[in-house]
Amino acid sequence: MSPLDFCTRIRLIAGTTFLEAVRQKFFNSLLLISIALVGSSTFFQQFDFGAGELKFITDFGFGALFFFGSILSITATTQLFFNEIENRTALTMLAKPVYKLEFLAGKFLGAQLLMFCFTLVITLVLSGILYWRESALLDRLGDEVSLDGPLIRYGDVFLFGFLQWLKFGILAAITLFVASFSNTNLYTIVVSFFVLVICQLQYIARDAYSGMEAGWERLLVFGLGLIFPNFQLFNIGDQLVFDVEKALPASTVLQITCYGLIYAVVFILLAQVNFRRREI
Amino acid sequence: MTRPIEAPAWEVVKAGQPEMNLGAIEGALGQGLVVGMLGGFRAILADFLWIRTSTIWERRDRVKLDAMIRLVTTLDPRPDFFWINGSRMIAYDVPNWRIREEGGYDKVPELRQHALDLEQAEQAFDLIDEALEFHPGKAKLYLEKGQIYLNRLKDDANAANWFLKASQQADAPYFAARIYAELLRNQGKNEEAYVFLKELHNSLPNVPFAQKGIILERIRELENTLKIPLWQRFEADKSLGASESESQFNAAVPAPHQHEH
Repeated sequence: MSPLDFCTRIRLIAGTTFLEAVRQKFFNSLLLISIALVGSSTFFQQFDFGAGELKFITDFGFGALFFFGSILSITATTQLFFNEIENRTALTMLAKPVYKLEFLAGKFLGAQLLMFCFTLVITLVLSGILYWRESALLDRLGDEVSLDGPLIRYGDVFLFGFLQWLKFGILAAITLFVASFSNTNLYTIVVSFFVLVICQLQYIARDAYSGMEAGWERLLVFGLGLIFPNFQLFNIGDQLVFDVEKALPASTVLQITCYGLIYAVVFILLAQVNFRRREI
Repeated sequence: MTRPIEAPAWEVVKAGQPEMNLGAIEGALGQGLVVGMLGGFRAILADFLWIRTSTIWERRDRVKLDAMIRLVTTLDPRPDFFWINGSRMIAYDVPNWRIREEGGYDKVPELRQHALDLEQAEQAFDLIDEALEFHPGKAKLYLEKGQIYLNRLKDDANAANWFLKASQQADAPYFAARIYAELLRNQGKNEEAYVFLKELHNSLPNVPFAQKGIILERIRELENTLKIPLWQRFEADKSLGASESESQFNAAVPAPHQHEH
């Protein structure tokens, strides 16, 4: 198995998976709903009491990205995996000199390409709306305020999008891992959503038990913290975009990126271990 | 393998999000669930619940009102609007409702009225203390405590303490320090007020919002009250641009010798 052939096969599977995914009605409808929701944030702003207009729209957009992105990541990965199994195309594919790791990596990358499109579109729509509202706000204020630069750091909107995309990558890898030993679509989706909830909340347990004395409970919490990635690490929308004083250092972004990549690779490898033993 | 990468990044992320730094486990659980599950949508949900809170406030349902204020501030603790308006409802409106429930201002003894005011004010203070965990150093919150002491409890001494604390915050409005000095005067602490106002006048910038003219007027009033000899009276720095009232004062009273004999 030469590395070039390995990469070519993964690329081909990823490309096919991506095309298949993009044609799915589920993806298109979810994308449309998300765009509509982000687009309508200026309407919902009428109900806002606390935050400023731009902050509200940003929050709303980030919320939509996380919420719909998580749904899409889990369901699309599950569907793409089980379509191959149920239609028996996986049998044909794996009968050829294609390794199961290549199959899984191809599926993962295909799903990630899909998530990239989704994240990019939402981030672009959000940036467009923010730019429109920022311009309107500055026009309204006129000479009342003197600013050195724009109110919003648009680069950070895309940085947040990138970090969310990484998070969706971990989620897709976890979904593939669950799918590797599951027999049904529904089971995979439900378990993956539970894992998502655990990953979103695991920091509470870890922080609560961080002061514990050494013992089996501490070891247990440590183990759980290791198995389930901390998704709150990617929840940095509040520190990006507006917060000039406490802007996130580049080293932290790099650390988060490495953290996400490690978990994605580990879960794909674990999925491969399971999938290797599986009868299709 | 991930811990050396995660730990420093987590420290930075956590430090920037007060809702992830609560000491109490109950608070951390509530906030954590909200932050974890709702993400950016918590703002809009809190807004809609605030509209519901206003409806409950109109119906004067104090039990539900308290629960709703807690819920809204748990959902989105970031805007100070919810904390401040929630504490106002608890401290100012609820005591009125309770007094009316017990027969009205004419029938309820003053002692009982004060007890109700105090009870509700304590609840409002708890809410503001909680708000300060999320917004440390926010002058508005200190001012709110001072206002409740001043307007509802008629407790000038405690109000003065909170106005002083408010004036010491980075985002403090200029009036906080002026009100503190006035509260000192109300308590008969004229000398303390005089010293404070002199220092305040010297420390303030020469901008219209700082209202240095008013401060100088009050300094002059205190000098008259305290019978400060002319040569010991406060002399504002003319190089910073004397205010109108200061110029008038200097015209009326010749400048005393700078050194005492």
